[in-house]
Amino acid sequence: MRNRLGFCLALLAVLLPLGVLARNVDLATVPSRNTVQLTIYNSEDLTLVRETRVVTFKQGVNPLQFSWANTLIDPTSVELKVRQPKTGVELLDTTYPHDRPQTLYWNVQSDANREATIEISYFTSGISWRADYLAIADPDEKALHLNSFVRVDNRSGEDYENAQVRLVVGTINLVEKIAQLAKLPVGRIEDALKKNELQEVRQKAARMMMAPAPVSAADSGTYAGAEMEASKEIIKEGLSEYFIYTIEGTETVPNGWSKRLRSFEVADVPMSVQYRYRPREYGEPLVRLYLLRNDAASKLGLTPLPDGQLRAFRANSQGGLSYLGEQSLKYVPIGDKIELNLGPDPAVVFELSKRKVYRDNLWFQVKGGSLYRKLGDDALKLELESVVAGWDEHTVFRQEIRNYTRKPISVQIRRDYPGDVVFRSQLKPTLHDFQTVQFETDVPAGGKAGLDYEVITREGYNQKQSRVELQAGEVGR
Amino acid sequence: MKRTRWLYPLGILLVCAAVPLAAMARIKLTTLPVRERVEIQLDHPQSTLVEEERIVPLVKGINQVDFSWANTRIDPNSLILRILPPEAETPFEVKVLSVSYPPSETALIWAVAASASGTARVRISYVLGGLGKDFHYRATAGRDEKTLELTQWLRINNNANEAYENARFWAGVGERFDKPLGLSETKEVQLARFAGVPVRKTYTCDPVAFGYLDEAQDKLNVPMHYVIKNAGGSLGKEPLPAGKARIFQDDGKGSSAFLGEDHGKFTPPDDELTLYLGLARDIAVRRTVDRNERQRIAGNLYRYDVTLKYEIENFKDTPVTLDIAESVRQIRDSIRSGETNDLDPEWQLGNGTLRQPDPDKSDADQLLFHVDLPPRAADGQAQKQVHTLRLTLNNEW
Repeated sequence: MRNRLGFCLALLAVLLPLGVLARNVDLATVPSRNTVQLTIYNSEDLTLVRETRVVTFKQGVNPLQFSWANTLIDPTSVELKVRQPKTGVELLDTTYPHDRPQTLYWNVQSDANREATIEISYFTSGISWRADYLAIADPDEKALHLNSFVRVDNRSGEDYENAQVRLVVGTINLVEKIAQLAKLPVGRIEDALKKNELQEVRQKAARMMMAPAPVSAADSGTYAGAEMEASKEIIKEGLSEYFIYTIEGTETVPNGWSKRLRSFEVADVPMSVQYRYRPREYGEPLVRLYLLRNDAASKLGLTPLPDGQLRAFRANSQGGLSYLGEQSLKYVPIGDKIELNLGPDPAVVFELSKRKVYRDNLWFQVKGGSLYRKLGDDALKLELESVVAGWDEHTVFRQEIRNYTRKPISVQIRRDYPGDVVFRSQLKPTLHDFQTVQFETDVPAGGKAGLDYEVITREGYNQKQSRVELQAGEVGR
Repeated sequence: MKRTRWLYPLGILLVCAAVPLAAMARIKLTTLPVRERVEIQLDHPQSTLVEEERIVPLVKGINQVDFSWANTRIDPNSLILRILPPEAETPFEVKVLSVSYPPSETALIWAVAASASGTARVRISYVLGGLGKDFHYRATAGRDEKTLELTQWLRINNNANEAYENARFWAGVGERFDKPLGLSETKEVQLARFAGVPVRKTYTCDPVAFGYLDEAQDKLNVPMHYVIKNAGGSLGKEPLPAGKARIFQDDGKGSSAFLGEDHGKFTPPDDELTLYLGLARDIAVRRTVDRNERQRIAGNLYRYDVTLKYEIENFKDTPVTLDIAESVRQIRDSIRSGETNDLDPEWQLGNGTLRQPDPDKSDADQLLFHVDLPPRAADGQAQKQVHTLRLTLNNEW
């Protein structure tokens, strides 16, 4: 097992000044980790590691060495705390030696010969987690089976064994990337950064994670033929603007590995299907969506759904699956709706045709005039030099929808009309915003719909507004 | 702990012994569950979903099931392991606890918990790259070109670097079928045969879409199309996917002659599939602008009166219908050469001979007229027909 985090208690040279530690002949003992807790943020490349070790101190000053070669630890974040005993053991100072990168020394004062539990915490980069989802719709598309997973990726250079894993859902602010800090010697960081600013962020993050790692009773490594092994539960709780997922028990994620665990699984989540034409959101084609809600009525709503890839399938009647597509799901708060865009459906034909164009309400701008007289004639002729300055452009459209699926469908259409526009139809439209018209229709299985409407654009001089006016009326002249 | 791994490019293996992950590279015993059943779903336009069923022996406790896919393009994020419900009598509970992804390996390890020792039927689904499909068609028209026999073919191209001894395929249309699919093999399967499909032979002139045969002489190209409606009989139940169509004609001597080929577009039920076969040189169409008058209404506002003249000769022995297609915008732009605008033309049809455009195939810009042409006379002379299209273009500036 590769463990690149070295932790030494130098036994020789106990009361000697630090400079002596750099000498070549040395003896050290290596206290092992008791517990490890990982708190992984998915919005930033940031993980808070909190480990406890039991160390035997002798009375007086005890030097400790902590090193982290080939890992991605931020040296400014390494902290030592004495958890047990509460008094009598004290950290005197911390030294970052100039000749040994990725190493520090602590001097710990103990008032007696005793055993102490110390806690070392630090930020590392290279450990990440992400959510992903698997949705399997029933053959009749009335309900779906939603699986949510979390996947922890360890590229930190360090093996974390039997670690308690906590995942933070939310976006935190960092002023500096941990991976960059990990590459710089400590002194240079202090120069490069406003120290207090950095400290503030660290403290903010660390304060939130104050809860020490409980010593875990369950240990996945020691399974010995007990009853049916249950899936690990992932406990979800809110914290400030964030949500923390705590994976039950402990996990071992060796360096380079990643591990995916089920976060939740819910069957029979009610859903509906809607077809939408919204070019601003979904591009030009009419797309099919599964609509559901992250709420209790839908058997969900216990936790927000973090960002993640969602793969959608539909169960076919033969027990197999049909692949519908993949999309990235954006964070869904509790109670919010979940919209899964499955892309265009070849069984629904959506065609817009322009049926007729005409212009009226023409206005001219008079730019001047000329007076003409024919030779030998007294009559005068005044000719105005005028150009078209404003008009109303009428365009009659027919939106055709043909439904070749075996089910009736509901279709919602949004179209943007910039300018001063009248939308005339019998379609009972609504305004989504000042320039976007929305209307709906249902198309029976195997049926067709033809939606007629007239768009009147007031052009040039006639344009007085920038908005769409809805008008109920006959279409066309 | 037990461990399972699929071998070949795709393998499963089961390892017995309670070993932690880090110790996996040591001595291990593996079982190799074979594929019981494979389904390949080609219904998605871009992605191919493979589903395989295997019977995996499990011991009570946690089992490790390895799945590896060296040298294949499986999308590892799409992998799903589903445990099929066991037979009713055996209360045997199986659950997937977690998935681990070892570094730089095309493999994953499922931790599967079983309530008792026994076998579980599992279904593994994944999206596989390199396994693609296309459709093509072959049609043989009768001697009279009134009906044809249409066959639809599915071609499966296996560049996925994996063989499937026997798989059930589904292409999204047609019936499901069972076939083996070898490594780097291309398999062609007839999906459907539609007999006695009515075919409409059309002749079309359209200066925008098909251009001129001889522009100096104003002679238009007259392409010939076969139009097949995806409706009626055995057709019309499913869309016809896009694909190349080759068309033959029964030569009446027990053989067939190749007429031409075209790319057929995706044709939903009720829609028409139009296949261009070649130019018909026995129908001559001369198109001229016979009249172009401009009338000033006020200021810079004008009205245009345009007449297009078509002189048509049919040198065939049979009567035919010619489709004349025009774009009003193109007519407007050509008569207003040099001073075009972006406005949609506002127009009215005048009292030429072409007054009734086909309402289903015409809109605010496109006009389509059907003109019946008699066969050439007994003396061999083709009768020249003259048609006119009169248009008034209003509110132009």
